[in-house]
Amino acid sequence: MPHRNPSSLGHLNPVLLRNCMQNKNTELIKAIEVSKQYRSGEVTVDALNSVSLTIQRGEFTAIAGPSGSGKTTLLYMISGLDVPSSGTVILDGKPVSTMSGRELSDFRRDHIGFIFQSYNLIPVLTVRENIEYIMLLQGVPEWERRLRVSEILEEVSLGGMENRLPTQLSGGQQQRVAVARAMVSKPDIILADEPTANLDSHTGESLIEMMRQLNERRGMTFVFSTHETMIMERAKRLVLLMDGQIEKDEKRQ
Amino acid sequence: MMLFKLAWRNIFRNKRRTVLSGIAIGIGLASLIFTDALMIGMIESMIRAATGTFLGQAQIHAAGFRETFEVEKTIHDLDNVIRQLNSDAAVKHYAVRTQAFGMITSPANVSSVIFYGIDPDMERHLSKIDEAIQKGSYLTKDTTRRLLIGSKLAETMEVDLDDRVVITTAQVNTGQLSQEMFRIGGIFHFNVKEMDSGVVFMQLGEARSIIGLGNDAHEISVTFHDIDQAGNRTLSFQNRYSEGGNKALGWRELLKELDAILELSDFTKYIVALIMFGIVALIILNTLFTSLYERLFEFGVLRAIGTRPSGMASIVLLEALSLSAVSGLFGICIGLTVTYIFSIYGIDYRGIEFAEVTLRELIYPVMTINQYIEYPLWIMLFALVAGLYPAVFAARLVPANVLRRSM
Repeated sequence: MPHRNPSSLGHLNPVLLRNCMQNKNTELIKAIEVSKQYRSGEVTVDALNSVSLTIQRGEFTAIAGPSGSGKTTLLYMISGLDVPSSGTVILDGKPVSTMSGRELSDFRRDHIGFIFQSYNLIPVLTVRENIEYIMLLQGVPEWERRLRVSEILEEVSLGGMENRLPTQLSGGQQQRVAVARAMVSKPDIILADEPTANLDSHTGESLIEMMRQLNERRGMTFVFSTHETMIMERAKRLVLLMDGQIEKDEKRQ
Repeated sequence: MMLFKLAWRNIFRNKRRTVLSGIAIGIGLASLIFTDALMIGMIESMIRAATGTFLGQAQIHAAGFRETFEVEKTIHDLDNVIRQLNSDAAVKHYAVRTQAFGMITSPANVSSVIFYGIDPDMERHLSKIDEAIQKGSYLTKDTTRRLLIGSKLAETMEVDLDDRVVITTAQVNTGQLSQEMFRIGGIFHFNVKEMDSGVVFMQLGEARSIIGLGNDAHEISVTFHDIDQAGNRTLSFQNRYSEGGNKALGWRELLKELDAILELSDFTKYIVALIMFGIVALIILNTLFTSLYERLFEFGVLRAIGTRPSGMASIVLLEALSLSAVSGLFGICIGLTVTYIFSIYGIDYRGIEFAEVTLRELIYPVMTINQYIEYPLWIMLFALVAGLYPAVFAARLVPANVLRRSM
């Protein structure tokens, strides 16, 4: 994809864009007036409607809202997995629209960790290999990979389980592996889509607690979507989405 | 390495599908290996049957003799040619012959024949006339006025051993008719229609006498220590003996029909192989796509966490390669086992006539190293080509689309 001058991006104010890109040290992700329409047969669905959101480094943010409110779509946008119909997403100071598919892959590899609702570990790879995979993509040497895998497994309380296959773990354990996989590449931000949805309330709560401790201890940025009140209450910032628009954006302690 | 590990383990995720695909591809490869081995065995058998019965692996004549079969066209400087043959290390055996058209007459019938004058001792090493004798006995140096006659011709002429027949032919140069009376010394059966119904053999000296040839001959049949000496048109035999008005021909030129069939069989083999490889490609394409659609979410995850499009394509191509390697190994084992068994026990096609050659021995498939290297490599190459489409498909997957249900 050819490099485009940021000032040519749609109807956005070039000065605003430049300012956004200059604040890259603190602003990790910035969505500016992002809209997304999907076509479902003859019907056009407005999944997001002119949403603006800035994620600062070190945040522990919950994106909440009922089903169909646009939580997942917003996570797609701010992770560069999807492109908006209008508006701009700036990842680490660079507009997504100027990045090629390969650059986006590399950006996700180096800067974003993902945790999925249904774990989505690779079933044919062991716990160690699942966690190692992303480091292999990053070109991390073997000795360092082994060290980091062992450390991260201890951190998520899965020490000694590195040679098990995902099918040999409980749901909670699998989600912990998913967290370890997301963290091991030392990303700037971890995006989690309803990470507790498939877990019982106790396991879900302990997972969120673990994520919060990682945020506090390591300063790791977390953005996760949820519709569970109990989980929302643990967030330091709550962004409430309703019908594709931000209804509330509040910081808490 | 991780991508290879991932691909390798992926092909065993659905064991039933992989095993079925592997069996289909493996059996295809095994049948290709076996067919190739069988064809080589059959061709070698046909060449042996065609050249070993009477023809020889090569022949020397006067130039133009085979076009007209004029008895005047005798081999030039026969003594010199024989001297050369005696000192030629490549030559195993040779036999000097005369060949002429004539009439054979019995009390019951008359028929046109080709009668050959042969040296019984020389022929014993080169042809299988002695082995083909059904009744009576083969000629010896001392036999006189005895003919060897084909089984069908004997039936037509209504003659048996020791019966009298008359051979009539035109003499060299004068064209005057010459007649000699012979007794039936032996009845042969080659199971080759032309030989059994239209050929008689007599002593070389008696044939020369009846045709009026003096010490000349029409044909020298040759066998070599290595049959390739005769089959390869570029070798020196043809050049060396095609001098001074003579013409040397290898079995490929003597048996043009067989040569054409052999070339056709090569072509057929390539066509069969191409169809086989095409089927393999379709099986692999189907397996890869089915597997890919089952794992769309997983592919979405791999893309999401930073696998480049080229990495995605590599996974699919490595799966194609792994599947073809496993199937190839299976095919090699089956092919090797089946071919080995038949190469010991042979296949009985005896009596079947093909391209004017009657198969006289069991056919033993011939194993060559190429069958076990070339064909599996082609399978892998076709698998890679077949894998390109799903690989490109995987590389172009939009992670958001495939993850929509999970993220």
